[in-house]
Parts: sequence; structure tokens; C-alpha cells
Amino acid sequence: MLNNITLGQYYPADSIVHKLDPRVKILLLVALIVGIFLGQNLLSYVPVALFLFLAARLSKVPFSMLLKGLKPLRFILVFTFVLNIFFLQGETPLLNLGFAVIKTESVITAIHYCLRLVLLVLASSLLTLTTAPVTLTDGLERLLSPLRVIHFPAHEMAMMMTIALRFIPTLLEEADKIMKAQTARGADFESGNLLNRAKAMVPLLVPLFVGAFRRAGDLAMAMEARCYHGGEGRTRLRVLKCQKNDYLSCLIMALVILLIILCGKVY
Amino acid sequence: MQITLENVSHTYQPGSPFQSTAIRDVNLTIEQGEFLALIGHTGSGKSTLAQHINGLLKPTAGRVLIDGKDIHDKSFDKKEVRRRVGLVFQYPEHQLFEESVEKDIAFGPKNLGLSAEEIKIRVQEALEKVNLTQDGIKEKSPFELSGGQMRRVAIAGVLAMRPEILVLDEPAAGLDPKSREDMLQLIANLHRNGTTVVMVSHAMDDVARFATRAVVMEKGTVAMTGTPEEIFRHGPQLERMGLGVPAVCKMGMLLREKGIAFPENIFRQEQAAGALLALWKEGTHHAE
Repeated sequence: MLNNITLGQYYPADSIVHKLDPRVKILLLVALIVGIFLGQNLLSYVPVALFLFLAARLSKVPFSMLLKGLKPLRFILVFTFVLNIFFLQGETPLLNLGFAVIKTESVITAIHYCLRLVLLVLASSLLTLTTAPVTLTDGLERLLSPLRVIHFPAHEMAMMMTIALRFIPTLLEEADKIMKAQTARGADFESGNLLNRAKAMVPLLVPLFVGAFRRAGDLAMAMEARCYHGGEGRTRLRVLKCQKNDYLSCLIMALVILLIILCGKVY
Repeated sequence: MQITLENVSHTYQPGSPFQSTAIRDVNLTIEQGEFLALIGHTGSGKSTLAQHINGLLKPTAGRVLIDGKDIHDKSFDKKEVRRRVGLVFQYPEHQLFEESVEKDIAFGPKNLGLSAEEIKIRVQEALEKVNLTQDGIKEKSPFELSGGQMRRVAIAGVLAMRPEILVLDEPAAGLDPKSREDMLQLIANLHRNGTTVVMVSHAMDDVARFATRAVVMEKGTVAMTGTPEEIFRHGPQLERMGLGVPAVCKMGMLLREKGIAFPENIFRQEQAAGALLALWKEGTHHAE
């Protein structure tokens, strides 16, 4: 019932993209996001899309898997598009609907926004699909560790994220089980109006929270029993090291950004 | 009523890289009034099979029939299936959610759309069935109770729907010896009073004591069916599947290896005691 969530789901495969240093991948994503927002005209999304397409091909993640991440976004996309079409100011009328005149400029801007959203989600999905959650937080911790100077708890943040990510599948499984158990007692999660549906969630949410607290207590105990005491002086099993491919991918990203800027200057 | 599983297969997440077939081509008929034990190694598909019996899972191939009618047919009322087949999951106490024991047990009957008076009668009846009759227990929060009591409340929540078939997934797992025995007696009692029972279990001694028939699952298929007596005759085969035999069967095997003529068809403690006594009497007789 609850297995259609791709965002944050790792797709195990043996590929160049999977093997990249997580720090590099995170930085690449940040660069790509900046790149997406640098776009001045529709042409400047081409390098981004091309880059994503190539990265996806290299990663061996099936496109269908990647596109599934867009599914929850479809309402937001339609909403953004329609809203922008009707509420943005423009000069050149494109279509007269009687109650409103649609302007060419607003249509273009709406396409801009939707493309940006799609590319953003695809890019971040690609990161989470090709990077195991633990590796991801590992990279994040290393990237944030310079901030320790200003007492930013980089290790603790990363540990919390690791734990949270680690427990997503567990909680989903638990939710599925409780949902089934309540369905077996005649509960109905799928029909009725909004209020009734919200009410129907109570028999699911209460046991889920109780279970989450129980697990949290157990986990804290287990961590203490293994002498966990925070990040101070902690060494790591896998030391991250940049390799040829990492530098290469950074170079490619620099090219992509350059291309985006160039495309912006074209007309 | 009779439930028939016809060539039932179930594949989780078909078409994804995580695809896995939990049960394959299972044929099984659950007769009215029997106490059926489902045994098998972890991951053999017992729980998946159990969830097909009340239509929670839809077979990816095959059919599940109640009295000859397909429960996944459009004309078949799902609520009707849920009412007639009660399913108690593993660790059912993890699904309690209401503020009082009474309200929690009333959840099922309420979903069936019964009247307030009828619900009251059912709650009382269910509490009696699980031996929770202390004063004031109905008003207590289910989270204040002991582990064994919580589980009994959870089971009462299913019993309040008056199911004709009760499917229990390892109902005695994780309980202390006393609660365990109470739980098993409670189930045996329900069976005696006419409820058909299907129990998933790892404990062969419990199977030997209570089941009228056992189904052994291995790698998603039915490996053996028969009375406990028939099943436990295949001790070595069961052990190869990662399952055991009742303690007294094991003892019998060891005795026979030592050349003592301990009969093979013994799998309950009382029978074993009788057989040992007979052997002992014979021995003293010879000694004289």
C-alpha cells in the first residue's frame, strides 16, 4: 500500500555515478541547482537536461524509476502552470478566453517554472537513487564539518539524518502492518470525505507513534551500550577520497554551467 | 464455512528490482472446525499465506474461495470477509490505539456498523473470552496493561467481530511461560467452542498439543500436510527444512538410537510419559 515513494530511495547498481564521492555528488547537485536558476531562456535548460540524461544513463538507474519521482509532483506542476498563466503580467496577448487574456510572456514564464521544478526533482532524485543514505549523510557530515568552528553540530546532524533515513523503511513497513491489522478489523482508509479520512488515520498514527518512541528508546539504549558518545574523536571505517572520476565530473559540471551562461547570452 | 486457496501465488512489488515471490501455487482447504497449524521456516511464506485467508492480500495468481465464492469478485463484500475471518497479526498489541480497553475492542464492531447496545454486549463477551474480567479494566488505558494483557485485549478486539475462522500469526511469541500457556489455553478453548483456528507457529510442541492438522511450508510452497502424527514422523526431513520436532519426538529418536524400543508415533508429553512408564514397568518385570 505504501511502496510508491521514490524520493530518498536507493537503487543499488554498480556504476560510475554510484562510485563517485558523495561530497562531490552533493556539490554537483548544488552547482546544478544554481545552474538551473541561472537559466535566462528556455535554451539554457538544454545543457542541464543533457547532463542529467547522461548521468542517468551512466548510473544504470532505469528512467522509469527516475520519472516515478515526478508523479507526486504532478498537481504542483499543473497548479504552478495554471497560476502563472493567469496571474503574471505580460504585453503580447496569445489567447483570449473571454474572462481572461493569456499573454505570451506569462506562458513562457510558466514553462520556465515547471521546467525548473522538474529538473530540480530529477536532479535530487538522481542523487538519492545513486547514493546509499548512509554514504550520503557521511558526505554531508564531511562537507559541514568546517562549520564546527562556529559550534555547528555537524556530526550530530549527520547522525540524526542517518537514523531518520534508516528508519523510513522500517516505519513504512510498520505503517503497512498496522494498516493491514486495522483493515482486518474492518477499518476503511480509502473512502469517505476528508474529515472521515482524517479520523480514520487515528488508529494508524497512534500505534505508529507509540512504536516510533519505543524504537527510539531501544536504539538510544543500544547506542549507549556500544559506548556512543558523539562525534568527538570518532574515526571512520570508510575514509572518503576524491579520485580521477570525481575531478572529471567537476570539470564537466563547470562546462555545463559555462554553457548555461553562454545560452543565456545567445539572444 | 470452508475456505479454499486455489493455485494461489503472491509476488511482492512485481516488476521492480525488489520483486520477490513469497508463495507459489499454494492449494489448501481449511475445513470448518479444524485447528490448522501453519509451520515453516522464517521467510517460508506463512504470514503471506495467512494474509490471503481474509483477503488482505490479493493473490497475484490463483483464487481464494469462501464456500466456493471468489472473495476478490466484485460482488463479494469485503467487510463480510473481514467479519467472518478474524486475523490476529504478530505482536497484535502494537496496534492498540484507543484511550480505553473498551473503546479499543469496540473498534471492530463499530466498523461493522452495529448498534451501541450490541457493541456493549460484544465487548463484554470478548473480554470474557480472553479472561479479562477484573473490575475497572474496561476503563483502563490499554497502554497501562502488562504485555500479556495487552495482547489479550488486541485479540479481544478481533473476537468482538465474532469471526467464524480465527487466523493467528504466532500468538504466543515473546510471552513469558505463564502468559504463553494462558494464551494457548484460550485459543484451544475458542476452538472447542466451535471457532475454526488457523495458527502460524514455530513451536512444534504447541502444534503437537493442539493442532488437528498441520501444513508445512517451505520456500513459498506447501511441503507437507497431515495430522501432527503424520508430519512428525518425518523428523529428519523437518530438520533439513530448518524446523524441529516436538521435544518428546527428539527424545524418542535419541532413545531408539540407544536401542530402546520407544514407539515412533509419540509426539505429546502425556503419551511419552505413558510410553516411558510402560517401558519402565516392562524393565522391572524383566529384572524380577
